[in-house]
Amino acid sequence: MIEVQNLVKRYGKFLAVDDVGLSVPAGKIHGFLGPNGAGKTTSIRMIAGLLKPTSGRVSIAGHDLAREPEAAKSALGFIPDRPFLYEKLTASEFLRFHGGLYGMNGNGLEERSREMLEIFELTRWGGELIEAFSHGMKQRLVMCAAFLHRPKAVLVDEPMVGLDPRGAQLIKAIFRRMSENGVAILMSTHTLEVAQEMCDHISIILGGKIIAGGTMDELRTQAGGQNDQLTEVFFKLTGGSGFREIEDAI
Amino acid sequence: MSAAAEARYVFTYLLTPVFRGALNRAARRERGDGFRAGVFGGISLGVAGVIFGVVFWLTWHLLDYEELGQYVLRLGLSWLFLTFLSFVLFSAIVTALSTFFLSEDLRLLLAAPIPAHSLFYSRYLKTAGQASWMVIVFMIPVLFGVGVAKCAGLLYYIVGFLTLVPFVLIPVAVGATTTLLLVNIFPARRARDVLMLMGLLFAGTLVLLLRFVRPERLLSLESLPDITDFFTVIQSPITPLLPSFWAGETLFAALHGRVDWLHAGALWSTALAFSVLARWTFGRLYFSGWSKAQEARKARFTRLEWLEGLLARAPIPLAWRSLVTKDVKVFLRDTTQWSQLLLLVALSAVYLYNFRVLDLDRLPYMSDLLKNLYAFVNLGLAAFVLSAVAVRFVFPAVSAEGPAFWIVRTSPVRMSAFLWSKFWTGLAPVLVLAEVLTILSNEFLGVAPFLKVVDAVAIFFMTFALVALAASMGAQYPRFRAENLTQVAGSYGGIAYMVAAVAFIVIEIALIGWPTMTYLWFDYHDVRIPTWRRIVMAAMFGAALLGCVGTFWVSMRRGVRALERLEGA
Repeated sequence: MIEVQNLVKRYGKFLAVDDVGLSVPAGKIHGFLGPNGAGKTTSIRMIAGLLKPTSGRVSIAGHDLAREPEAAKSALGFIPDRPFLYEKLTASEFLRFHGGLYGMNGNGLEERSREMLEIFELTRWGGELIEAFSHGMKQRLVMCAAFLHRPKAVLVDEPMVGLDPRGAQLIKAIFRRMSENGVAILMSTHTLEVAQEMCDHISIILGGKIIAGGTMDELRTQAGGQNDQLTEVFFKLTGGSGFREIEDAI
Repeated sequence: MSAAAEARYVFTYLLTPVFRGALNRAARRERGDGFRAGVFGGISLGVAGVIFGVVFWLTWHLLDYEELGQYVLRLGLSWLFLTFLSFVLFSAIVTALSTFFLSEDLRLLLAAPIPAHSLFYSRYLKTAGQASWMVIVFMIPVLFGVGVAKCAGLLYYIVGFLTLVPFVLIPVAVGATTTLLLVNIFPARRARDVLMLMGLLFAGTLVLLLRFVRPERLLSLESLPDITDFFTVIQSPITPLLPSFWAGETLFAALHGRVDWLHAGALWSTALAFSVLARWTFGRLYFSGWSKAQEARKARFTRLEWLEGLLARAPIPLAWRSLVTKDVKVFLRDTTQWSQLLLLVALSAVYLYNFRVLDLDRLPYMSDLLKNLYAFVNLGLAAFVLSAVAVRFVFPAVSAEGPAFWIVRTSPVRMSAFLWSKFWTGLAPVLVLAEVLTILSNEFLGVAPFLKVVDAVAIFFMTFALVALAASMGAQYPRFRAENLTQVAGSYGGIAYMVAAVAFIVIEIALIGWPTMTYLWFDYHDVRIPTWRRIVMAAMFGAALLGCVGTFWVSMRRGVRALERLEGA
């Protein structure tokens, strides 16, 4: 459903993303991990159509993002790491606006908006201006919008940032349900426990390149530790936790 | 105590990020910065030169009237300072809301072990700088103009500098104190809206009042004896108690080589006393005001359901409709946005009133020619007014998406559809305004019917071109991180738009003016227009039309391309 081939992004002499390729089939959750500055967000922004790749190809639901951007974007839902929204709209108005951008109209849109607000526990806030929302509420509203038009693929950048434990639990349950319904989810995250718990496949990016990828068991094999948790695997593959240095410094 | 620990006690240390940021910006020059600096610098020097020239000329001519001239100069200085006093005061209240309560860096600073006095003085200085730089920049060529015309000595310039400092500090101290009080009554964000609205109403009323006093009467010979009456009206019994009067008197004395210790002393002692008062109020009220500013309150807002109903019936594509609905709602709910419309209405009223009171019949032999010439001046002015409106409301339309632009960019909406929706949303009100201004002012002037039609048609096409140019240049020079849209309008792109718009207006008026005046000349003399002239006239009208259509079309294409190339927003 999400196909990324030989994706490259160069800023002058700096190579931010180097030949990244990945594939997320329908109904699967794909984790995209890496330390800060590894190229995760740049890759995600290219897949969302926010950045133009230097080279490479992205296709969503069989539509090439460069050649058929409207068709590709129609099939995609995007959840950014920071939920910047139109503060002077109410939640319901924002969802109506968002639906309009994706060609949704009429009573179906109203019903779907209500359904989404209910799923993400925002019903009683539907008529309030977004400027009064907390960070977590805005994050949940962005998710409402991302799933509103029934996308075939969803791209998530740091889903758990700013969510309380109940919100995080809710999001995990919703992502699982969406994936069971056939939605492909590509998720970039720093929360390794979430990735281990939810993802069918994990890719690890470092220095702009994907250095490892596979199921949890395949990653363990690549890291050389059979019973390791994802946290240990991640540190082994990306070059250590730095805990010793921190202890020394403190 | 270590040097680093002591540093935080010095309030100037807290201003380091401001200076360091400016230095870093200057050191890391980007492509086009030199050109931008050249354009801004050139325009600023040009404006300063004009102000200096006008003030020099006025003062020079006032010297001819001896005592009356001295009197008018003295009152003029006092009146100028009075205008700036109110300007700095209002500006300081609004700025203090940002610097003391709404700035992003306050959380960092308040969590740090910084003494209260350091925080106060750093913010006080920042407020003073932000609220008064425009007045100071304007005052420098004014004071030089007066000084050079009166051949003043060095004392005048030293006193000028020493007068400006306390003159600015007094309204800033009053403004900061008022803000500290206000925020303890209203939440900070609401207080800003209320203040913006009050300030604009004040500015609008001031503009209307000043206009309706009809200062142009002073220029007519028969009303010369009324000058003193005019100034008496402007003066009031409380004027001598105001710092503007003290500043005017101090400077006037310095112009004649004397030091007015009384008024200079009043200025400095009041500035220091008010600063101490503001510091004391800060100590008492700041933290409770800051806490209140952090509390989110349920905002009241208009639902505007009728708008959605209305637009639902409009025969436009769904994505456009969604964008237009969103833009109109966001605009109407943002008080800082729509309240500026009040000022616009006031300025439009003044604009039309000017034509209403224009008495061209005093010159009977030339009145028809003058009226028709004025019709072109009117066309140019109306086009300039609509450019000014477009730079404020249409140019920032793309930037208004702010950090939320990702929503549109990740949606299946073409950038062309997005920019066209911005264009149409901006065009409708601007077109109505432009046509009303042109048609009504030509009606007041009583110009030839042919010219009325030419002007109305010309402004119609010019509006399309100027609005497209604004939307397009806004897309080419967006500022998604700007704190407010006024900043966007005043950015490099906004200035570049105004330069391009003025060039376009001048060319268009030249292209329309020549054939129109030719037609009127032949019509007045009742002579048939030769064929070759008709061809040239048609060619020039055609060129004017082509200029509008070309500007409109090329602008929109360039704007769409710029949006498609956009990265990182």
